[in-house]
Amino acid sequence: MQAPYLPNSGVDTLLDPGAPAWGSVPREQLKLEGTPLGLQPSSAIRSRWMERKIGNIDRVEVAAAHDGRDLAFRLEWDDATENGQASDSDQFPDAAAVLLPTVPGASIVTMGGPGGAVNAWYWRADADGGRHVVAEGIGSSRTLDGEWVRGRGIWKAGRWQVVIARALRIDTPEPVAQLEPGQKTGLAIAVWDGANGERAGIKAYSGPTWRDLVLDAMPAGRRS
Amino acid sequence: MAPNKRQLAMVMDLNKCIGCQTCTIACKRLWTRDEGMEYMWWNSVNTQPGRGTPRDWEQMGGGFRDGHARPGRMPTRRDFGEAWEFNHEEVFFGGKGAKAHLKVQGEEPDWGPNWDEDQGAGEYPNAYYFYLPRICNHCTHPACLEACPRKAIVKRQEDGIVLVDEDRCRGYRFCMEACPYKKIYFNQAAKVAQKCIFCFPRIEQGVANACARQCPGRVRFLGYRDDHEAPIWKLVDQWKVALPLHPDYETEPNVFYVPPLAPPRYDEKGELDESQPRIPNEYLISLFGPVVLDALEVLKAEMAKTRGGGKSELMDLLIAYRWKEMFGGFDRDPATIEWTKA
Ligand code: SF4
Ligand code: SF4
Repeated sequence: MQAPYLPNSGVDTLLDPGAPAWGSVPREQLKLEGTPLGLQPSSAIRSRWMERKIGNIDRVEVAAAHDGRDLAFRLEWDDATENGQASDSDQFPDAAAVLLPTVPGASIVTMGGPGGAVNAWYWRADADGGRHVVAEGIGSSRTLDGEWVRGRGIWKAGRWQVVIARALRIDTPEPVAQLEPGQKTGLAIAVWDGANGERAGIKAYSGPTWRDLVLDAMPAGRRS
Repeated sequence: MAPNKRQLAMVMDLNKCIGCQTCTIACKRLWTRDEGMEYMWWNSVNTQPGRGTPRDWEQMGGGFRDGHARPGRMPTRRDFGEAWEFNHEEVFFGGKGAKAHLKVQGEEPDWGPNWDEDQGAGEYPNAYYFYLPRICNHCTHPACLEACPRKAIVKRQEDGIVLVDEDRCRGYRFCMEACPYKKIYFNQAAKVAQKCIFCFPRIEQGVANACARQCPGRVRFLGYRDDHEAPIWKLVDQWKVALPLHPDYETEPNVFYVPPLAPPRYDEKGELDESQPRIPNEYLISLFGPVVLDALEVLKAEMAKTRGGGKSELMDLLIAYRWKEMFGGFDRDPATIEWTKA
């Protein structure tokens, strides 16, 4: 998918999923599937989910845009129930994440591996903002310090509209995606349906292969 | 997981527990007073037979069956029982005298952590019940630890205490489903799982757990499993009168129970009837497995010895004449330590 260059839209504007600027950005439908039961990391989780559907959300509409400084993703999907702040231990929040490779060929299904990190930009319905996560294998994910990732979601009439954004390049020694206009990279999406008890590796995702993500180049002479 | 080098364990003598909840309060005051912990009782004492805490936990699954993980249900705060708010202000300072009484505020509760206290089972004059204190069992094969996708639960090498690493925990709660004893709680404020820590900061200073040291019934023995000089080994391995609760869950608990004997039954004529036990054997077997009958036989035989004027090393041990000897060397007085808050 293509992330157009929108020179005059700061990230603050784009963080609003209803911002008019999003109107001009092409949207792509991505089919989602449940993560494979066999790859769930513990036998307790596998036994618990053996006869339950993993990945309740089966499609998501994705758009992406950048302004030379920040990259924003807009996700929209059907979800009949809004699961935000939980009031009991059997309740889980809805959530979504954008996954980017940090090296070519990093593995999605194993959430990266040693030396082949994946970088997740994560939003959750019970918290303001976002989380900046790196993982080098299942169960290894770490939330990085710093408020790099921003996220905002609105649930309206059975549909989530969520924007997740981050600066293209950030100053950190951590293995995160460093992006620039004109670049082509991979993209994967995950969505968790809290009402179905989805959390951790129990989620719907865009599949084991990276989708293309192309960041439009900036016209010559423009500097970010 | 490499096997831990040593294992701390506890034995609770159910014949001595009076259900006073001193242990419960000792634990509460020490460890679960922060926000989000209001409903937590890392130590609970319930009347058996009964539904327990959380409600009907024995029907919630989890643990293992024939070595394979058995699916478990998530215990909810409603199952544990909410932390009720009372009208203390009105009763104590409202100037209403006897007209104001303590009342739960808000919605009328229909469950709590000790809701069916002293109900038990059986018909008068053969009614029966006993108290069952429970903490996390710091299992040798901890279902909680194995369930966690983040390896956020650790079993300490030096003493086998099972702890949640709250920095690694993401609040996924797979451990709560997997623990068959339902002894893990979710802290809604901190968004992490929390559980009994076997008072490890006390243990590290040679002080017994608060629940054990505070128990007025001298119910709780403490020590290393392999310390042949201390009561744990003698009760569990030598005399075989202390048994794990629900060995059928296959987590190999390190809390053991001396099963309850009960007074004899009365027959229709009001005469003592020793032909069958007051607490049905099937019930005790359902809790402790068939070996419970052997343990009860040993206890009865040793009791008979002392009744006849003889001596029984086992009875002396269980009576715990010397309080400090119950704690396997962890008998330091906490008042001798200067505690600092980290
Ligand atoms: S009792 Fe439950 S929480 Fe405690 S170690 Fe065993 S499985 Fe884990
Ligand atoms: S303090 Fe001792 S006697 Fe009282 S309830 Fe607890 S274990 Fe039983």
